[in-house]
Amino acid sequence: MSEEQLDPQETPRSSPPPFQESKFTPQNGGYNGLQQSLPNATVVLVLGILSIVTCCCYGIIGLILGIIALVLSKKDRILYATNVGAYTESSFKNLNAGRVCAIIGLILNILYLLLTIAFVILFGWAAMSDPDALREALQNLQ
Amino acid sequence: MKLKLILISPIILISSNGFIDWLQNHLLTCPFKKFSGLDCPGCGLQRSILALMQGDLVSSFKLYPPTLLIIVLLMFTLLHLKFDFRMGAFFIKVLYISITFVIVINYIYKIVNHQLI
Repeated sequence: MSEEQLDPQETPRSSPPPFQESKFTPQNGGYNGLQQSLPNATVVLVLGILSIVTCCCYGIIGLILGIIALVLSKKDRILYATNVGAYTESSFKNLNAGRVCAIIGLILNILYLLLTIAFVILFGWAAMSDPDALREALQNLQ
Repeated sequence: MKLKLILISPIILISSNGFIDWLQNHLLTCPFKKFSGLDCPGCGLQRSILALMQGDLVSSFKLYPPTLLIIVLLMFTLLHLKFDFRMGAFFIKVLYISITFVIVINYIYKIVNHQLI
């Protein structure tokens, strides 16, 4: 019985060592040349940049893209933090750049949405859908 | 061969006048502008891209200042993802932040000078 119990305990012990090595030697790149790029790095970068380009026409699209990019980047940052050596540094830089872009895009989109809401509250929906009424309302303000 | 075709096809499209005419009649309408009659922060982008395709740099800048920067950013991002420059991510960040500044300043300028309608 005792020998049978020992055998299954030994097999999992033999598999983790590369994992532990990478934890203790992050300077050497851990996996010794077997580094991967982070799975979502390029996606986050592209989504972050697109979030500002589409903020132009339809504010809500940019908002959704920015939120998706932020969620994906959070996942990947946790992945990178758990074993530093397993992923390339350039992809991590890409990920961070994409994250910054997504945050800025989100802020701009939220400001744009707030502006729209403020306009609706100030002038009312009727004035918003009629350019002439809006022009009169604007002239009354001055 | 494929890459060459991809590179050449936009030049052929731009050089034909019919394509630009078709684009001018098929611009996407901005819902914000449609409802309120006011410009949104991104209004003018398509017109200024069209002006750029016709080679008119000055009017493209007047219609929407950050157009050139946006095109440079998109091109640079594609090149960076392909060739992986060392400082690429940093340059993308700087370009992106400068674009946001230009967009915000442009919109405030429009509000102050009553060019929104």
